[in-house]
Amino acid sequence: MNSISAAASAGTGSGSGTGTETGTGTGLSGERFPVRERFPVWKDKFSLVSSMIQRQDLAFVQVPMQTTVAFITHLRDLEGYAHLVFFTAIDYIEDGIFRLTYMLHNYRRHHDLGVQVDIPREDAGMESIHHLWPHGATYQRELKEMYGIDFPGSPGVDESFVLEGWHDIPPMRREFDTKEYSEKTYYPRPGRVTYDPTEYMKEKLYPSEAETW
Amino acid sequence: MSLKDIVAPFSVWKRAFEKPYTNRKPLDTRPGAPRYRGFHINAVDTCIGCGTCEEICQNEAIDLVPVKETRHGDSGLRPKIDYGRCCWCALCVDICPTGSLGMSNEYIWIDDDPEVFRFIPGYDEKSWNHAELGYRRAEGYDLLEGQRVGMPMLSFEESRKSFVEMVQGFSAEQAKAEADRCIACGICVATCPAHMKVPEYIKAIRDDNMAEGLKIVYNANPLPASCGRVCSHSCEYVCAVKHKGEALSIRWLKRYIIDQIYLGDYQKILDEGEPDNGKRVAVIGSGPGGLSAAYYLRLLGYQVTVYDANERAGGMLRYGIPEYRLPYDQVDKDIEYIRSLGVDIRQNTRIGADVDFEVVYRDHDALFFSTGLTDPYGLDIAGEDLPGVLSGLGMLDDVTEGRKPDLGASVVVVGGGNVAMDAARTSRRYNAEVTILYRRREEDMPADDEEIHEAQGEGCLLITQAIPLRIEKGDTTRLKLFWGRAEMVSDGPGRRPKPVLIEGSEEVIACDTVIPAIGQAADYSFLPEETAARLTFKRGYVEVNEFHQTAEEKIFAGGDIANPKRDAISAIANGHSAAKGIDIYLRLLQKERATF
Repeated sequence: MNSISAAASAGTGSGSGTGTETGTGTGLSGERFPVRERFPVWKDKFSLVSSMIQRQDLAFVQVPMQTTVAFITHLRDLEGYAHLVFFTAIDYIEDGIFRLTYMLHNYRRHHDLGVQVDIPREDAGMESIHHLWPHGATYQRELKEMYGIDFPGSPGVDESFVLEGWHDIPPMRREFDTKEYSEKTYYPRPGRVTYDPTEYMKEKLYPSEAETW
Repeated sequence: MSLKDIVAPFSVWKRAFEKPYTNRKPLDTRPGAPRYRGFHINAVDTCIGCGTCEEICQNEAIDLVPVKETRHGDSGLRPKIDYGRCCWCALCVDICPTGSLGMSNEYIWIDDDPEVFRFIPGYDEKSWNHAELGYRRAEGYDLLEGQRVGMPMLSFEESRKSFVEMVQGFSAEQAKAEADRCIACGICVATCPAHMKVPEYIKAIRDDNMAEGLKIVYNANPLPASCGRVCSHSCEYVCAVKHKGEALSIRWLKRYIIDQIYLGDYQKILDEGEPDNGKRVAVIGSGPGGLSAAYYLRLLGYQVTVYDANERAGGMLRYGIPEYRLPYDQVDKDIEYIRSLGVDIRQNTRIGADVDFEVVYRDHDALFFSTGLTDPYGLDIAGEDLPGVLSGLGMLDDVTEGRKPDLGASVVVVGGGNVAMDAARTSRRYNAEVTILYRRREEDMPADDEEIHEAQGEGCLLITQAIPLRIEKGDTTRLKLFWGRAEMVSDGPGRRPKPVLIEGSEEVIACDTVIPAIGQAADYSFLPEETAARLTFKRGYVEVNEFHQTAEEKIFAGGDIANPKRDAISAIANGHSAAKGIDIYLRLLQKERATF
């Protein structure tokens, strides 16, 4: 354990190349990677909005829309976050935003970093990252289909992904009424019948008790 | 189109002579993982048909269909699953209160008739019905809460010192947390003698809508402040959540609703009923049966007069139940609302003594009596007439009237019902040492479990399988009670064993007071002979039909004299039925007269 943590905490430095960091670890014991120490730097360079350390191997940071792709590029090329684990969205309909999360992984430090950005729900769109990771295009195609978030220039972004022949609004948007859609589309099999326990028990156990009339 | 595109379909034919990549049918056994979510299994004898699986199913794949006999606590319905809709998410398994639903690790089912993929797990014969492996709800993960929200109560040291109410009631937060445990299956509704819409008033608590709650409660029970405290709560014995640990505190949730609303606000919330229809109904007895009948009759437009022999209304609610369980102001809250609707309650009016039965009979269009069980049974042993032998009911009566009972320093209570527990606990509050003798086993005691527990908690000594033999004058104390040990002897299958005295066993307790509380009989002496002759009685009960009408068409009856459950809520239900019955009877009568 000691050797692992020593190796993992070796390096908070300003990287000098893709996936190669130097510097000496000053991490707290038990903390693999003192990501906290990077926050002021990121705040300074990329206007970090907020940060949260979830576990010793997972943190979330939020950045404005304008600096997001620059920040992610920086993380990939200079801070070792070479892998895009997933890219997803959450619909905060009450706040009028989508929150995008780019989950990045640093193999050397065994550290995950979730980069979050809030974008307006209205005419939702975001700069593409397909040039950073080709499979980013797949996530973006899915986000376009499921949430209606556009990524101009992303290959195949307007093609159907899993919803061939879909004509409704994107189904993961919260204004989409799943129940209504399913009732319209998938009607119950004919001949199905069900009984309500309360009513059924009344009929069986006390059909003639006057106070229940 | 290239040449390759044209040739390719034919080149596939060469595969026809190779070993196929796909699995051959019938498939070789490749069992699913040990916790695989395969086809459903259901222990149909454990399942209670509560429908929670149907409720939680996101795909509406589950129907409840009749399979077994309907009993209290079991609807007799069982889930039928449509595999055309099921997605094997296992939420039905995870939420099942009894744990009867599970999944086998079987996953292959081939048929050319699509209709067969709708089946009743555990009931329809399937190869996987007895599968050991497959998905079950994981330990330590629960969608339902099996533990009750604790009720704030006085400690036993505190409670036995005074008549202050022991159960203090839920806070809003506690009530909501407790209400959240309800799965709204409605299994309890059949078992409540008044068939109160329990899930609906619990929902009102979740929605923080007390006015709605009050309306739902009053639809079936016009004495909820009292019932919310002392109801025998048979609903809680069948609660589906009880299979997870503890039943919902249904009784206390009802009390919570009532505690939140001032009596003065009732009129704004509740329906005041139909206008006066000019007909008059007499009610004899102001216990729960009489008051319930009076309330619903008044709502139906009748002029109601209640005659009661006691100084104050409420019957056993007031005179039989001590204040630490049911404070008098709560009985008053229930009664005063009924009185405010225009019900005329006449106290100190004993039928047969202060008013003639015939006069009441003649002056009213119909009559309901619910006079209760008032004559205590004697022990039928020598020395019973010695000074210091008090009846349980008489002693509780005295306390209600504000007379201090003459108990001395030590009391022996004989009996195992709620009156015995109340007499014992009341004696503790007068600082007496209390011993309770009961002739059967503790599990046979008819008293509520919490009464037995609380009596013991307050320091009453319980001796079971003890039969009183005789009472004599004491040496240093007022009395000596001789008693013998009993053994339980089987009384045939399906019947509870009966206590038989072990010959030669004899013990003695020196005490100042002996309180027999072994039950009461009805007193029908207020009925004139020729009226009594027109009614029919069976083993002390008045016989009534489903409208609670006696053999004399103008007379209706209910409560302890007409039903074997002998509790407040059954009396309330009887009163409600009788009110409906009287209404039907008087309307029909009117119609008949109009045709002649």
